[in-house]
Amino acid sequence: MRADVGVRVLRPTDLREARDAVRDTPGALLFRGAGTKQDWGTAPESTDAVIDTAGLDQLVDHSAGDMVAIVGAGMPLSRLQEALAPAGQWLAIDPPLAADGATVGGVFAANDAGPRRLRYGTLRDLAIGVTVVLADGEVARSGGRVVKNVAGFDLVRLLCGSLGTLGLVTEVIVRLHPLPETSLTLRIPADPALATDLALALAHSVVEPSAMDAAEGGLWVRLEGRAAGVNAQADAVAALAGDLGAGCQRLDGDDEAAAWRRLREAHAGQPGETVARAAALPDRGAAVTVALDAAAGAAGVRAELASHAALGLHTARLTAENPVACAAAVADWRRRVSALGGTVVLRRGPHDLDAWLDPEVTPLSALTLMRAVKAQLDPDRRCAPGRFVGGI
Amino acid sequence: MALDDLRRELCRALDTGAVLSDPAQLATYECDGLTGYRVVPALVVLPASTSQVAATVLACARRGVPFVARGAGTGLSGGALPHAEGVLIVLSRMRRILDIDVANQRMVVEPGVTNAEITRAVAAYGLYYAPDPSSQIVCTIGGNVAENSGGAHCLKYGFTTNHVVALEVVAPDGSVVDLGAPTLDPPGYDLRGVFVGAEGTLGVATKVTVRLLRTPEAVRTLVADFASPAQAGDAVSGVIAAGIVPAAVEMLDALAIAACEEATGAGYSRDAGAALVVELDGPQAEVAAEFDAVERICRDAGASHIRVAADDTERALIWRGRKAAFAAMGRLSPDYFVQDGVIPRMRLGEVLARMAEMAGEQGLRVANVFHAGDGNLHPLVLYDASRSGEAERAERLATAIVELCVEVGGSITGEHGVGTDKACSMPKMFSEADLAVMARVRAGFDPHGLANPGKVFPTPRLCGERPGPYKPHPLELAGVVERL
Repeated sequence: MRADVGVRVLRPTDLREARDAVRDTPGALLFRGAGTKQDWGTAPESTDAVIDTAGLDQLVDHSAGDMVAIVGAGMPLSRLQEALAPAGQWLAIDPPLAADGATVGGVFAANDAGPRRLRYGTLRDLAIGVTVVLADGEVARSGGRVVKNVAGFDLVRLLCGSLGTLGLVTEVIVRLHPLPETSLTLRIPADPALATDLALALAHSVVEPSAMDAAEGGLWVRLEGRAAGVNAQADAVAALAGDLGAGCQRLDGDDEAAAWRRLREAHAGQPGETVARAAALPDRGAAVTVALDAAAGAAGVRAELASHAALGLHTARLTAENPVACAAAVADWRRRVSALGGTVVLRRGPHDLDAWLDPEVTPLSALTLMRAVKAQLDPDRRCAPGRFVGGI
Repeated sequence: MALDDLRRELCRALDTGAVLSDPAQLATYECDGLTGYRVVPALVVLPASTSQVAATVLACARRGVPFVARGAGTGLSGGALPHAEGVLIVLSRMRRILDIDVANQRMVVEPGVTNAEITRAVAAYGLYYAPDPSSQIVCTIGGNVAENSGGAHCLKYGFTTNHVVALEVVAPDGSVVDLGAPTLDPPGYDLRGVFVGAEGTLGVATKVTVRLLRTPEAVRTLVADFASPAQAGDAVSGVIAAGIVPAAVEMLDALAIAACEEATGAGYSRDAGAALVVELDGPQAEVAAEFDAVERICRDAGASHIRVAADDTERALIWRGRKAAFAAMGRLSPDYFVQDGVIPRMRLGEVLARMAEMAGEQGLRVANVFHAGDGNLHPLVLYDASRSGEAERAERLATAIVELCVEVGGSITGEHGVGTDKACSMPKMFSEADLAVMARVRAGFDPHGLANPGKVFPTPRLCGERPGPYKPHPLELAGVVERL
């Protein structure tokens, strides 16, 4: 987390205070939840004040029958899950850093997600309403309290993943899912090529895993649902792995939970590591891995890769004595992944040495429209100026 | 004069016969599925490619002429209602399937491809496209993108926006822009997410990349008869409380059952007060366990009869009856309004009672078809236009019903869109600030307001000025929002 030396920190406790804080605090603003993803994006050009959402941490409403919750942006995700669990429900998202206090608003602003995104999507899919305070103090809502709703523009999706560059999100309305009755995980030892093949084969099979991650020399397949259904699916996965010449090991209970904690947190990385995230089509999985090995080898850095294999998302964690080498490896990997039709963004690391996103390698045809939307919602560039793509 | 000039330019840019200006030809495009509103466009163009769409939009932009995109014209909210001084861009000639990527479960199509064609093209690979609006045989994917179409199965699978990963669009300045990507998490704002459901007010989609799902191993469907919709609603609550997420939960009340049976003979019980259709899909063993639970819950809630579809043929028949519900109303009434509103599911009983009361006051009948799992109501207000004043009363009742939906914390539209029909109801659901912010987003895409003007947002011309003393917003009264 960056130090806030000499920067004012405001902690509004309700919508009115949040509106006043945004409207009446001059200069460049940075919105912060738990601060677990402050490294995401480019470092803002300037920050005159931080608006911290810690005081906006209420579970405003939980309608178990409607499976909808209204949540203050500053509420830690883990605390929300604890509050929902007695009703047999959860917000179906398992991003890393929840144990570090990651807030619902922060996860929303970053559009972060975890392994079970395979089944449930991200907050872009699960958030159905949002309240936002724009830099000029205008308070607007989009969406609502019902899942099915096509009235008006979908600003929920626009704001989700905008890294706080359009306004301060104060409240998010989310749809909930039933907690699965049973969970079982199969670990299939597999090199990257086999892991990719297996993940694609499973995606085309009758099995419906909630997660398929490639890491630690294997493919991890998580099955959730009714006990009878999960066991039958596990047999199908084992048979399919057998067809490709692989055995498998079953995990449940604490072992399973520990494994997924590790797999999930691998995507966040540790302090001192450079973390880069690639997105490619799922069938490029092995090629993305080979590309990382080549880039890391050429730059002389150590690299670990964790992948949401069926989603085509891969997180590389790089370490070296000299951060310049890590930056070089990311740049090289970015070029190679781009040639595979994918993108690489830098999530954590030497921002001063490497761009979050390289527009030369990843041109964005919609950048003009993105700038126009930003200019409409934040014309004075007060919300985290420069943090987003293309200097937005 | 400007239009003559525009017509000549479009004739040069597009194929011969792709620019229509003959009044008789223009008149065939005067409305979409909402036939109560009719406007003859100044010109109709039938582009065959992205570059022809771009040329059309650019020509309009240079002259400040509005344009409206249209797919199959099946929309029920007047979203594709032409503009009298504008160009109607009909995308029905752009109907090529451009790419099928089986391994990655992606498909790229032109906007005029129908919803059902997408699934047909990949069914042999065991894949399908999930959103299934009732008009899926004829409605186009371009129209689905504009309206963020849902369908009976969106309870479990979501809407168009959950299944369209990338778009090529012609922006209102005529530029061709890619929004989203076939890969996940493309860098930048999710403008794809804003474009989907914007009802053509942000530009024209010219290529659509969809994600495909694996056809589920098992599908099981039942129809349970209940004494009343409220009792059927209890069964739905029971299913949800048991942690089951059905693929679809549909409810028909007695009037709707009668209409469906007249039209299709799908085998719904005519003596039931409500019929509940529940469909589960997924892995065989999972579905088997949950289907037993659903049957038990329905019985416990008082189901008088449960019919389980024995095979795909019987399932198709049940769905044919359900999907014919709107059209079948013609059997019961010479005229009817199809309404579309959403309520929090737990308020169903209360809303139905209020609705019956309101219908009684107007001396009108209301038939109800719901997507019961997600609280999406489709009340059908029956009337006879030949009786003096009845159409007006029916329209007032239809409007009062959606406003009731907002009052209980719901939405004015779950899937039919705002379009022309409900633009004036938007202030019931959103505050002035909410609408102003949406208008700012729109201005980012379309500073001159040329893309489908007069839709979605209320205008004084359409809705009249609303001066007068301060009245609390319905949402304030409902405790949904606080006024700062």
